[in-house]
Amino acid sequence: MSLAAEAFVSQIAAAEPWPENATLYQPLKEDQILLSDSASSLAVQTFLRMCGLPVLVSCRANAEYMSPSGKVPFIHVGNQVVSELGPIVQFTKAKGHSLSDGLDDVQRAEMKAYMELVNNMLLTAELYIQWCDDHTATEISRPRYSSPYSWPLNHILAYQKQWEVRRKMNAIGWSGKSLEQVYEDVSQCCQALSQRLGTQPYFFSKQPTELDALVFGHLFTILTTQLTNDELAEKVKSYTNLLSFCHRIEQTYFKEHERESQSGSSRHSKGSLP
Amino acid sequence: MLSGGRANAVHAHTNMAEPMELLCWGGDWDLPSVHTDSLIVLAYAKFSGAKLAVKSIDWTWRTITASVPQLHWEGSTVTEPAQILNFLRKQRFNADYELTAKQGADTMAYIALLEEKLRPALLHTFWVDAENYVNLTRPWFTSHSPFPLNFFVPGRQASLALSRILLTKAESPLLNITEVEGKIYSEAKECLNLLSHRLGNFHFFFGDTPTSLDAFVFGHIAPLIKAPLPSGQLQKHLNQLENLCQFCNTILKNYFTDAAAEKRMDYG
Repeated sequence: MSLAAEAFVSQIAAAEPWPENATLYQPLKEDQILLSDSASSLAVQTFLRMCGLPVLVSCRANAEYMSPSGKVPFIHVGNQVVSELGPIVQFTKAKGHSLSDGLDDVQRAEMKAYMELVNNMLLTAELYIQWCDDHTATEISRPRYSSPYSWPLNHILAYQKQWEVRRKMNAIGWSGKSLEQVYEDVSQCCQALSQRLGTQPYFFSKQPTELDALVFGHLFTILTTQLTNDELAEKVKSYTNLLSFCHRIEQTYFKEHERESQSGSSRHSKGSLP
Repeated sequence: MLSGGRANAVHAHTNMAEPMELLCWGGDWDLPSVHTDSLIVLAYAKFSGAKLAVKSIDWTWRTITASVPQLHWEGSTVTEPAQILNFLRKQRFNADYELTAKQGADTMAYIALLEEKLRPALLHTFWVDAENYVNLTRPWFTSHSPFPLNFFVPGRQASLALSRILLTKAESPLLNITEVEGKIYSEAKECLNLLSHRLGNFHFFFGDTPTSLDAFVFGHIAPLIKAPLPSGQLQKHLNQLENLCQFCNTILKNYFTDAAAEKRMDYG
């Protein structure tokens, strides 16, 4: 969206309150969704719960194609469609709900920097492991991604997505990295997050912010998703304060929905935290 | 010769048989190098006291074969600024040893911020924006590459820059640069504002001595401040942020004046 269109949308957004029937769309939970998309979707859901805004989660096989930017998840609120955590945070801010109002400028700079760290390292590592590691791509990513479609479309779409992701990895210089280096990067990122969190309940002391939602989304998904091996989850588990952070947010914001699809019995997800 | 092991780090360094050699792009516009990644390594080397033999790749065939910056020492080669900094730290050239764990974590976060928000706009300003590319960047790189590489080098860099921006920022499958331009520039301006807020009135980002974060920020903003860009909306925005300009000039004055003075002596 161009800047003028964004400003216009903000104005319209500010006019109406949050409706009851806001919906979040993501790919099918049982069979189709992959680690990175699941992490992004959980981050958005956590953020909306932290703001106290109700949202229904709807799983569609073509969620990626419905989204205005090609990325999931996206929310449908009133007559507007917004995708990805960044724009969604701005959209809810235009409606008057914000988690980061209490922060001063330096803290806001830090929060944005840490969100970029998560996007830059964790999300890219997730994409790398899913699509550039041949073993994972063949066993998990391609079959899952193409499960709603019949032959030959499933092959074509899966390979196209893989090619796209590999091109992107090439452009940012990650294609030369080995899997070991990627795990090392994840470990360093978790170490930075762990040191920043320290012993506080949330990253910015008492109140959760969108950074907490984003970190929770990614770490929880990594811990509860079954890949070809457990090395990624092990890297995260070695930081105890991050584990207790995830437990705390799960207990605070998701426990009343434990019976629902959040920690369901899908083959891909191991359910709630070990 | 090295005296037994690395037990005594300082002693070992003054006895090093060969200095570390850095390959990078040459300098201009009062800067030791016009290339962001090379500047990061050069600045860090000055901050941590590492002595580097700097060899510029201008006018050699390395303009197309080498991935710059590149550090050579005792047979091993290291590329990429982050890895070179790690290597220097392992050799006990550490500008970050006084940082707390939290500050180290902050460094990683701010570097990620620079890479995600500022670098696409820098690439666009120098390599994709038609006026800047045709009037400044391409002539500079053409004149600093040997024949016949001068026909290929700028074009290759420009297409790499464009594809990087499109693949990371544009919404597939309609990869169109004009839609992304507004977004990347507004994100870059926001990033510069955030850096300015974080720096405040201090000389460096973590107190009074420069660290690797200062090197990264310097490497990114110095070309933007010093290059004579014909069309530079981002440059104008940066010039309004007094403390960042001051930061850049302080580093140039305190750590690089001998290099700049040498160049002037060569030409004068």
